[in-house]
Amino acid sequence: MRKTLSVLFVLLIASTLVFAGGASESSTGGAEASDATTVKVGLICIGDENDQGYTFNFIRGRDEATEILAAEGINVEWMTIYNIGEDASCIDANIEAAEEGCEIIINNSYGFEPFMLEVVDDYPEIEFISCTNCASVFDGRDNTHNAFANIYEGRYIAGVVAGMKLQQMIDEGTINEDEAVIGYVGAFSFAEVISGFTSYFLGARSVCPSVTMKVMFVGSWSDATAESDAALALIDEGCVMISQHSDNTTPATAAQSRGVFHTGYNNDMTGIAPEASLIGTRIDWGIYFSELIRNYVNGEEIPQDWCAGMGEGAVVMTPLNEAIAAPGTAEKIAEVEAGIADGSIQVFDTSTFTVGGEELTHAFALDTDGDFTADSEEAVFDGAFHESLFQSAPYFTVQIDGIEWLNAAY
Amino acid sequence: MSESSKTPFVRLAKRTDIDPRRAMLIRIASIVIALILGTIPMIISGTNPFEAYSVIVQGSLLRRTYLNQTVKIAIPLLGCALAIAPCFKMRFWNIGAEGQITIGAMCATYFALYWYNRVPHLVLLLMMFLVSLIGGGIWALIPAFFKAKWNTNETLFTLMMNYIAIGIVAWLQGGPWEGRKGSQLIPMFNDAARLPDFNFMIGIGEHEFSLTSHVGLIFILILVVLMYIYMNKTKQGYEIAVIGDSVNTARYAGMNVGNIIMRTMFISGAISGFVGFLTVSGANYTLFSGVADGVGFTAITVAWLSQLNPFAMIVISMMLAVLEKGANTLQTRLQVPASISDIITGILLFTMLSCEFFINYRLIFRGRAAKEEKA
Repeated sequence: MRKTLSVLFVLLIASTLVFAGGASESSTGGAEASDATTVKVGLICIGDENDQGYTFNFIRGRDEATEILAAEGINVEWMTIYNIGEDASCIDANIEAAEEGCEIIINNSYGFEPFMLEVVDDYPEIEFISCTNCASVFDGRDNTHNAFANIYEGRYIAGVVAGMKLQQMIDEGTINEDEAVIGYVGAFSFAEVISGFTSYFLGARSVCPSVTMKVMFVGSWSDATAESDAALALIDEGCVMISQHSDNTTPATAAQSRGVFHTGYNNDMTGIAPEASLIGTRIDWGIYFSELIRNYVNGEEIPQDWCAGMGEGAVVMTPLNEAIAAPGTAEKIAEVEAGIADGSIQVFDTSTFTVGGEELTHAFALDTDGDFTADSEEAVFDGAFHESLFQSAPYFTVQIDGIEWLNAAY
Repeated sequence: MSESSKTPFVRLAKRTDIDPRRAMLIRIASIVIALILGTIPMIISGTNPFEAYSVIVQGSLLRRTYLNQTVKIAIPLLGCALAIAPCFKMRFWNIGAEGQITIGAMCATYFALYWYNRVPHLVLLLMMFLVSLIGGGIWALIPAFFKAKWNTNETLFTLMMNYIAIGIVAWLQGGPWEGRKGSQLIPMFNDAARLPDFNFMIGIGEHEFSLTSHVGLIFILILVVLMYIYMNKTKQGYEIAVIGDSVNTARYAGMNVGNIIMRTMFISGAISGFVGFLTVSGANYTLFSGVADGVGFTAITVAWLSQLNPFAMIVISMMLAVLEKGANTLQTRLQVPASISDIITGILLFTMLSCEFFINYRLIFRGRAAKEEKA
């Protein structure tokens, strides 16, 4: 009895010693890793690469930036934390990344920002980035930043591709003019989503004047089943073209199973739904990440609010599915891309849409008093609504004619 | 001879009395065995177990911030284990602590969101505290009432109440209390609705340990003492124990079992509600549907492993917090998937729970039994 007890204690003490030995070992190992050209960057993600959509797109951007910077002699050591919720676990993830020596910490989801901002004052020497949100830029702190890209430009072009397909179907007599209905699976009735589907719709209508759109919100950024159900419900309502602002590929497969067409987001979905998916658009985060890290290493200023569009390569189209796209689509894409880049095409041109039958003449961009309703900076001028000009995060929340919201509970 | 061949190879015998030192020895052995078994998933996933364990310790205790984080995880676990202890003592299976935490947090959040500019800081915190007690208490009282009146199954009832509570908060989060439209986020609390932090310092020899936590830690530690006294030294605690042993005895002794069940559940729910208040006001600074974060269930393990002893709960909840916090660092430093650390936690809990079996029962092997008989 006494013997076994002492043996156990010796074992316990021995194991503690070993662990403590390991502890001192690896803590010295960590300090050596930082030299002038190595920078440690944390990337906190809402999902993981398996979503094949939102987070996967960030992982792609991460790897691309690593490559770009390696060629310039800058070595990036990434610490990627996956599957963090938009809740207090995000506070812990940011603390963890900071304590583990990250010099830059990137939060990839909109809902991370308020939690991130709880941590930033404890680590003034670390740069914190909140992608797709908008409070960091105005919070008066130097170490908090926002970033987004003009994804509405890519959406507009995806809309053009969809519209050309619909027009082709009308011209061939497959559907009549009134049946050119787009179904859109949206996450929430949220500025980023509204801006996205409106630009998509305007792109489609620019080439197919009779098109209308129905939007169904699923109440989640990522819920594969609900997204699929919403797509099927829209198809049942007569939609012949499906697009989405949600994280999964299930709307594409739903479209394919019912023989309708689809355009995607975040990723090329033509491999998953080769008979349905025409094209997709995504943000190329590699452009921002490489610029951010380069600036940091060179001691240059990191923009408080970074935003770029197709012209800078920050928004890209995924490969066009030539087998099913309408003839001439590729040429049209090139034409529109050029038009957006040189400014001759304004996505939210106020002469192309109406609100309650009238032209939009006024809309605010920013919320300055924290009540979550925009109250400052006129976004409508020179014949267009200027999206992502006053801040990178989209602020277009107007409900335009031609788009029917099937549910707005979310 | 024929007698012994009929006896099974191993027999179980209930231990009537066990040397407490021996019981402690078995418990320590179970932890050692768990640590050894835990190396298996690590080796399979290609991680050096020594390095992994050292990372767990480093990532949870050996750095100031990490220790603070670990304590932050332990506080609700401990508080909630204290909450369910009297119920379990009474053999009332309250697995609804999750929902009681959520409702307590929700009630506190109402005042945090809409009263922060109307009353002074301390009054606001006091109001949040009180409504969290009442909210959590009432939420627990509902299944207790049905149990007392119609003898409904409390396990199912309390479990289902969890989903209702979580659903209500999810609705508030996307509806009336939502901040920016479509964001599904309730705004962060104003500073007035946040619990103050305090700094705790002890010097042992030349070493100085410092710990920063919200003041909830102090209240929870006081609650440990109070709960110990309540369960062991008061008439109500005695009534609970009697009901736990035998409801009929309690009835025979003239106790109003229904009332005692309702009273105990109210206290339990109120403490859980208080934990919810501490969580939103001291740690998260906002409310979301996952506010309880499984604490209501993990606390059952804490309570059980501690044999419903409040002081032991401090140790057990800290141990689970070390594992949870350490697992995060394990994931970030060694890229060990979160599921591997879950497996290790599972192994630890399993061995510790099963060691209670060996404390209560003795294995008698055939050969050995014969030998003992001869002697």
